[in-house]
Parts: sequence; structure tokens; C-alpha cells
Amino acid sequence: MNKAYIGEFFKHFSIIILILLTLYPFFFLIISSLKSHEEFTHNFLGFPAHIRWVNYTAAWKAVSRYIYNSLIMSSLTVVMVVFLSSYVGYIFARYKFPGRDFLFYAIISLLMIPGALTLIPQFIIVKNLGLLNTRWACILPWTSGGQIFAIFVIHSFMSSLPEELFEAARVDGAGIFQIYARIAVPLSYPTLVTIAIMHFVGTWNDIIWPLVTITKPELRPVTVGIMAFNSAYYQNYGPLFAGYILASIPLVILFIFTMRFYIQGLLSGAIKM
Amino acid sequence: MRENSLLKNIYKNKFIYLSLVPTFAFLLTFNYFPAINALYHSLFEWDGIGYEKFIGINNFINLFKDPVFIIALKNVSILAIAGVIISITFPLLAAELTFNLRNLRMQYLYRTMFVVPMVVPGVVILLLWGFIYRADGLLNKILITMDLSNLARPWLGDFKTALYAIIFIGFPWIGSFNYLIYLAGLQSINRELFESSIIDGATRLQQIFYIDIPMLLGQIKLILILTIIGVMQGYTIQIVLTQGGPGYSTMVPGMYMYNSAFQYYKMGYGCAIGTFLFGVILFLTIISRKYIQAPTEFGGAK
Repeated sequence: MNKAYIGEFFKHFSIIILILLTLYPFFFLIISSLKSHEEFTHNFLGFPAHIRWVNYTAAWKAVSRYIYNSLIMSSLTVVMVVFLSSYVGYIFARYKFPGRDFLFYAIISLLMIPGALTLIPQFIIVKNLGLLNTRWACILPWTSGGQIFAIFVIHSFMSSLPEELFEAARVDGAGIFQIYARIAVPLSYPTLVTIAIMHFVGTWNDIIWPLVTITKPELRPVTVGIMAFNSAYYQNYGPLFAGYILASIPLVILFIFTMRFYIQGLLSGAIKM
Repeated sequence: MRENSLLKNIYKNKFIYLSLVPTFAFLLTFNYFPAINALYHSLFEWDGIGYEKFIGINNFINLFKDPVFIIALKNVSILAIAGVIISITFPLLAAELTFNLRNLRMQYLYRTMFVVPMVVPGVVILLLWGFIYRADGLLNKILITMDLSNLARPWLGDFKTALYAIIFIGFPWIGSFNYLIYLAGLQSINRELFESSIIDGATRLQQIFYIDIPMLLGQIKLILILTIIGVMQGYTIQIVLTQGGPGYSTMVPGMYMYNSAFQYYKMGYGCAIGTFLFGVILFLTIISRKYIQAPTEFGGAK
């Protein structure tokens, strides 16, 4: 009994150490973002004696524009990916037509193509289409690439739904689009939300693509913007760290509402290969 | 006659084909065409604007004579080996520790804490580590308070330490995704296996080696493949923090491809690097699928 107690204590102790090490940098970031420059130099590790919210107003002026750009670009991409992939995934899962399997595998085979291969020609295409320095330079390729995995996941989910539901709707005279909107979408709601979160986070975090396609400062998304901000505020620690935190807030909000759902999805294997 | 019925069948499904048009228009423009174009241009000297000249496999020959590319290959191999070792030890250890707790409420609390970093954008985490490594950064300040100031240095700016500093980013490396995948795997192991092994007198440590790890092979394989693919073609850390420097001490093939294309406008050379990376990733994926047999493939709840 005593031995089991020691074992249990050892497990808690190790986990707490790991958690402290994992989270300490973020804790340091938060307390430092509230310090003045003097306090940051003299009281490096401690709590701030005077909380400086001014850091946040200064950072907000620089970062808000980037957050706004990212919100537009990521939201539009997510809407387009979810709509296209759910509709196409539904058609491949529930209808038989000549060439279906060939077309489906043609899409899925793109999962094998790494971004490193396509980067350069993709840039040339976007340039030739005259999209450089517009939000579409990111939205369109993100949508295109995002569909692939999403179609794969949605297809396997919708294939697993019982045929009777669809048959009944067909007997009642519902068309392809009606069945999609009234039956397929409501039933696959959890999968669609997981796909939406994945793509929102994925596009929000993308650095390399916006870095090459968007050079206009006023159109920069958060990732590229915060790098520029980082060089401008290099020694101005308070606002610098406040800016890091502001750039994280949209994702934090998103996860507060959906984290449970997302974790459940991963834990229950909603996404299988 | 048969052909006629096929055409009829296609005509009958015209609305279905029509609704696939947007998806394929996207994929043709932004995925198929660039992929084929990159393979094609890997055989050319190309500036991306107008000039292009067929040079056969000369780009690839030059690549392996290029000292920068050789350094990049060496660096990415070190990063990949380190990444693989890290991704199948620390997150698995954390998952085992959490899974084996008796107190379920604490288990839930710890799980949430481990997942918190997922809400922070990757670029912020990288910039934060950039600050930790600075000359006046957190790590050096801590070393100074511990009276180890002779060890202090700009960790990413020092030839000797830059690559290792990159490996050390994210310490203790409990990646939320990997952690959750392992935890899901552990939760899906049949309880009866544990119970019958207890009757046979197995200790928990024996269970870990003879039950948990064999049953988690699917998850381990998945994370192994994802880690290798991610590291082989990745250069986000370099873009944000080092640009491949100082010198070429943190240069990797992806970063070199980026520089070739967007700094020196050697687009054909860049495409050759991209093609090379594609080949390596394809090869590694096939090898690992063939030689690591596993019952489930992804986050298996089966």
C-alpha cells in the first residue's frame, strides 16, 4: 500500500515538473509583457511591481492590422475549404458515376506531394495571375491545398453513414444538393468543425507562403507581421511581449470554445488514415 | 452500343461532374500544375521570368558538388535523428505518466495543461525561444544567477551551439499533438490485456514494454513518419530565427531552396532541391510503411 502511494507521488511529481518546464516560457512572457523597461532589466524574473497596460496599447497599434488581415484570410479560406470539401466528399461517398474511383484517387494522391516541391512554380503562377500583394495570393492556394486532406477525411466519414437515410430522402424526391444540405451536412457536423479548426489554425500559422507572396506591410498576416514587429521592437521588451500575446489571442479564443471538441476528436480517432 | 451507354451514363450524371469542376480547377492550377512544373524545371536553368535552358541532370550533379547543400544535408540529418528520438520518447513518457494516474480528475487537469501550448501560434513560440537564446535573454540570465556566466553566449549566434539550440527549442518537447495521439492509443488498449498480465504477475514496467509499446506501434509509426517528413522539408525555424546562419551552421535543404529561388533567382536549381526533397520523403514513407508493421494507422480507437 505504502509502495503504491510512493509510486503515485512520483508520477504526480514528474508530471508537475514537465508541466512547469513546458509552461514556464509562457508564464515568463505574460509577466514580462506587463513590466516597464527599467523593471524588466532590474527585476528580470519576478512579478511586476507596477502593471503597465500601456505596453498593450502600444503593441495593439502595431499588431491590430495584422490580426485583422489574418482573420479575413483564414476565415475565407476555412469557409471555402469546408464548403468545397464537404460537397465533393459527399458526392464521392454517396454517388456512383463513371470515373469516380479514378478521380478520387487523383485527388488523394496529392497528399504525397510535399509543399517544398510546389513552392516555386506556385509562386510563379500566383505572380502570373497578378495576385501578388493581394489577400487572394494566400486564400486561393490555401483553399486548393486544404481541400485535399479535408475531402479525404469527409469522404471516409460520409461513406460510413447508413444508406437508408439517403435512400429515404431520394424516395421523397430530394435532389443532390438538398440531400447534401439537409442530411449529409447536419450528420457530419463534428467532422466539419474539426476540419474548420485545423485549417483555421494551419493558415493562421503559415509563414513561408505569405512571406513570399505578400510584401506590402498593410496586407501582412500575423505571422509575417509579428516578425517585422519583432525587429522594430527588438529592445522594447514590454510592448514586444505584449505584441506576442495579442497575436495569440484569436487562437486562444478559438480554442476556448472548441478545444474540448478538438481533443475529443483526436482522442476518439475522428481523423483516421 | 456499349460506348453509347457509357456516354448516356456520363450525360445522366452531368450535374455531378459539374459540381466537381471548382475543386479540380483549383487543384489543376495550384497543385497538379506546380508539381509537374517543378519536376520539369528541375532539369532547367531557369530565372522564373523568361530565361530557361535545358541542362539535363546538371542541377542535380551541381547540387552534390555544392558544399552548402552538403552542409544542409548533414544538418537536416542531425535534426531528423534528434526529432525522431525526441518525438517517440518525451511525449510518450508524458502520456504514460498521465495515463497511469489513479486520480482521474488530476489526469484531466494535467492533460489540459499539456495541451495549452497548442493555442499559441507557432511563430510566437519560435520568437519566444529566440528571446530565450538571446545574449541578454532568459537562458543567459538564469545561467548568470546560477554563477555559470562563463557558459553564457548568444546561443543562436554561435557557430558551435546554433544547431543544438534549434534542437532544444520546445524543451521538454511534449508536443500537444503527439501527446494526445499517444494518450488516445493508451486509452484504446483492451483492459483485459492488463488484467490477465497482472494475474501472470507482470509489473507495470513489464506491461509498458510488453503491452503498451507493442500496442502503440501504429501511433509510434505515424508520429515517426510525420516527424521525418516535417523535419526533412521544414525550414520555418530558420526563416524566423537564423536564416540558416551563422555562416551555414543551421542551413537545411528547404532554406537553401528558398534562398536559391527568392534571393538568387536560381529557380531551376531551387526546383531541383524541391524534387530531391520529394524523392527523399517518398522513399522514407514507402520504407517506413513497408518495414514497420502495425495494426492501426492513425490515432486508432479500434
